[in-house]
Amino acid sequence: MTPDTDAPSTLLSASALCVQRDGRDVVRDVDLELRAGEMLVLLGPNGAGKSTLLDALAGMLAASRGRVQRSGRVAVALQSPDLARRSVAQNVELALAWWGVPRSQRATRARTALAELGVDHLSDRAAATLSGGERRRVHLARALAVRPDVLLLDEPFAGLDAVTRAELLGDAESALRSAARATIIVVHDRAEAWALADRLLVLLDGRIAATGPPRELLEHPPTEAVARFLGFNGSLTEGNQTLLTRPAHVSLDAEGPLLALVVRSIPLEDGVRLELQLDHGRLFTVAPIPGPRTGERVRLRVDGGVRFRTPVSTRTSVSG
Amino acid sequence: MHFLWEGLRQGVQLILHGNSYIVQLTWVTIRVAAISTAVASLLGLPLGLALGLGRFRGRRVGLTLGNAGLALPPVMLGLVLSLLMFPQAPLGGLHLLFTLNGVIVAQTLLAFPIVVALTAAAVQAVPAGLIAQARALGAGTRHVWLLALREARVGVMAAVIAALGSALSEVGAVVLVGGNIEGSDQTLASAALEQVDAGHFAQAMAIGIVLLGLILLLAGALTVLQQRGTVARVRVRAPS
Repeated sequence: MTPDTDAPSTLLSASALCVQRDGRDVVRDVDLELRAGEMLVLLGPNGAGKSTLLDALAGMLAASRGRVQRSGRVAVALQSPDLARRSVAQNVELALAWWGVPRSQRATRARTALAELGVDHLSDRAAATLSGGERRRVHLARALAVRPDVLLLDEPFAGLDAVTRAELLGDAESALRSAARATIIVVHDRAEAWALADRLLVLLDGRIAATGPPRELLEHPPTEAVARFLGFNGSLTEGNQTLLTRPAHVSLDAEGPLLALVVRSIPLEDGVRLELQLDHGRLFTVAPIPGPRTGERVRLRVDGGVRFRTPVSTRTSVSG
Repeated sequence: MHFLWEGLRQGVQLILHGNSYIVQLTWVTIRVAAISTAVASLLGLPLGLALGLGRFRGRRVGLTLGNAGLALPPVMLGLVLSLLMFPQAPLGGLHLLFTLNGVIVAQTLLAFPIVVALTAAAVQAVPAGLIAQARALGAGTRHVWLLALREARVGVMAAVIAALGSALSEVGAVVLVGGNIEGSDQTLASAALEQVDAGHFAQAMAIGIVLLGLILLLAGALTVLQQRGTVARVRVRAPS
């Protein structure tokens, strides 16, 4: 059998990877493979082990068990965008010097990377004078400039206001795409994951809870825990099954089959977020302004959602 | 007040007339201060960097010793060194007792912990994220140390200035190890002490004024170096 020469090469892989911090298992039995051109987003709640996994994949933290194989050079952009006390261009050139790029190539490569992130006009500015968003862009440009085979980004959009983050996300999405490079991005926010990921990896309690294309995972979350983490916050018990819903699955309808009590109503920019209490569960939806008030009874219908078998203990407590 | 004015007048006269005694004392003082500060910096900066940035066993002990060394009594060091430098003692074969080289050794040992402790403190204040990022982008130890030195240069230069100040003005170890021999290893500070002992207060004041002028000159030059980048940053920041 001949190998498939058209398939992109594997640049990073981990098998049965376990990592400890302070003697405690933080990452457990992680298997993953990353190919050239692929953008993998690592998503998980606080304390799930995302940054620890990233450090281990980069080789900055030793594995307690299992192994990591890297093909080519790995660069990491850490979460904190600390820059040296010099100009923006000098900061990028400094990173190129660390990486071992010859002096004659540094200025051009720094300018190119800064232009990709839309901050080439800041080249001569002192790093200390940059805003938070500008610092993030220079931080990303520094990591892109070294042109690694594998690029690992730890929460590259953390600490930015919504508008700045959306702008950076749009620019970074195209700048990060490369057929030759494999990229892993740790994010905290699901919206960032949908915007960037070719493949999503959900990490819960140090283990890979789900992996696959974002749309597929959203439509068919493999477990109840993954579904809840992906925003399925509504829950209805139906016999021995639990129906989990996202707000988009639930809509107010005067002819709807379900009756609910509005227990909370929170105004949003473009509507009202409603928390609805039913006989066998609680659902959430967003209704147009002004929406029903707290204490009002409404009729509704559910279109979609995912069903999981209800654990016996939970079934008993609901029916009892 | 008479001694003060007389000392000031004599000091100015001695400097203006290029008095050979003062010139010789100044030259010895500069040599002792320059060599001991240079050697202490050459040895102390790497150790300070290692203690400030490294993660190794014994690092806290090293930091504690460095900090304790800031309060090292010069008289105690001078006494121990002079005993070690006696002909029959372990360092006797080096023939350092009552020599300029012996004085330089003593001053270097006094300046060394100052450089180590203040450098370690300065580089520890460099954002940990910047150092970690440098390592994550492939920086080796040499690159990381250069980055830390540059980022912490205000504090590191303060360490060198403090070491120089100690070397210029210290007398206890100089007298005990060097013997305060005029024309050989006597410095401005130890000469001033000798003049006070002899009751020549105006002479002592004159020497002291020369010494203060020298300290001001050298510390001023180093301060210009220390603050050069800082002033540039403030200028850049101002328009925004």
